[in-house]
Amino acid sequence: MKTVMSVDGNRITISGRIDDYTHLQVLASKVGSGEVVIDTGEVTFVNSVGMREWIRLIRALRESGRAVRLERVADVLMTQMNLIAELRGAVTISSFHAQYVCPTCGAEAAPLVDATLPPVPCSECGAAMELADFPERYLTIFKG
Amino acid sequence: MSVVQPIATSAALPCSVYFTDTVQRSGVGGIRGKIVVVHPERKAQRALHRMVGAAGVPVEVASELETAAIDADTIVIVDASLAQSRKPVARAWIAVPGEGLSAAEAPVVASLLAAGCDHVIAHPMPILAEELLATVQKLLRRDVFGLEKYLTWSADVRSYTLDDTRDRDAAVAELAREVVLFGLPDRVSSMVSVIADELLANAIYSAPVDDAGVRHRASMPRDQGRALSGRDVVTLRWATDARYVALEIRDRWGSIDPVACATRLAAAQSTQGGMGLPLAYACCNQLVIGHAPGALTEVVALLDVRFKPTELGRSASFHVFSGDAP
Repeated sequence: MKTVMSVDGNRITISGRIDDYTHLQVLASKVGSGEVVIDTGEVTFVNSVGMREWIRLIRALRESGRAVRLERVADVLMTQMNLIAELRGAVTISSFHAQYVCPTCGAEAAPLVDATLPPVPCSECGAAMELADFPERYLTIFKG
Repeated sequence: MSVVQPIATSAALPCSVYFTDTVQRSGVGGIRGKIVVVHPERKAQRALHRMVGAAGVPVEVASELETAAIDADTIVIVDASLAQSRKPVARAWIAVPGEGLSAAEAPVVASLLAAGCDHVIAHPMPILAEELLATVQKLLRRDVFGLEKYLTWSADVRSYTLDDTRDRDAAVAELAREVVLFGLPDRVSSMVSVIADELLANAIYSAPVDDAGVRHRASMPRDQGRALSGRDVVTLRWATDARYVALEIRDRWGSIDPVACATRLAAAQSTQGGMGLPLAYACCNQLVIGHAPGALTEVVALLDVRFKPTELGRSASFHVFSGDAP
């Protein structure tokens, strides 16, 4: 699935792949004024070239004086953003997908959570699922 | 059958020597060399000696570097905290996380990478033992290529050869599909996809060099196709044995600079320079670079699928081997 991008007022929605073929920077000139909201909940893949495009988009938006809020950040994008020092404190993140595992039945899932990383009920057995990775893989970016 | 005979085993002595002369004479492929374990704790000395004892060469243990008998044919296994000391010339230095009961701290791993360490093991037991013995045997046998060295005999190895640069996406998609078919979770499939994509991109675009050593394909537009034949052939192999998922990507240029790779990984959070290798490193538990200069580069990435990520090291292990191309 290739990249699908849409702009509606000050809201950007990106789904599919963010890779060598993706040009995100153009979105900065199309989005409306004020705080920009970006929804990446349906992004399935991000590689290093795509990550550079993503950084360029965030830079362009911030350099134009707009605040950036991310909603439903895809797990793959969230973990990669946490590797980049430049992104710390550069965006506000209201929700993201994170990898959880059920200690009872072993099921894995990527529910939508916030920075409190709350326990999530397992859809198979009802037990409380736990975060499957080190918390800093998701939370480093919140440290400004 | 060979027997390990302790010549001196007193913990009070600064250096204990173990001798396996029978194995040295008749070992597999005429293995030569010795192993020196340097660790301040006697318990850790014993544990590490036990791990590498199966390698079939003499093993010496020492409490400090100054008392260790190290020469150019020695493989030195050293506590990570000692690994940055000034070191004499040896065949290889392998930094390990203490007694192996807990993982190496991420800053320690980063500092060892920044110092250009060839072998940094980040994980505690039992991975430590598996990784350490595989590393030692590769060095002793001078047989450094192939993902099979990290897997059990029963693993079925899948192989893809890319005929064109545009085959990369299809190869990665097929790999991701097979990983899920093999019963592994989506999380692993996602990680494997990112690693394979980055390592294939490096093999296709960064590895080729012209006569002047310039990486002339590095800025080639990624949406243009190019046939991959001769030295441009790139292969992807993968397998799993329910302990690890192993990926192996090879190019025929052998142009990688391992020291530059290690220092780049140490500065992973920077956006200066290539981000592909740091991303692949962040997604795996062990990154192994093998190179035969001018002939072959092989990168093996291992993901442990037995343990939760939180039961492993925060950083991945890193290894660099040099050898003749098979």
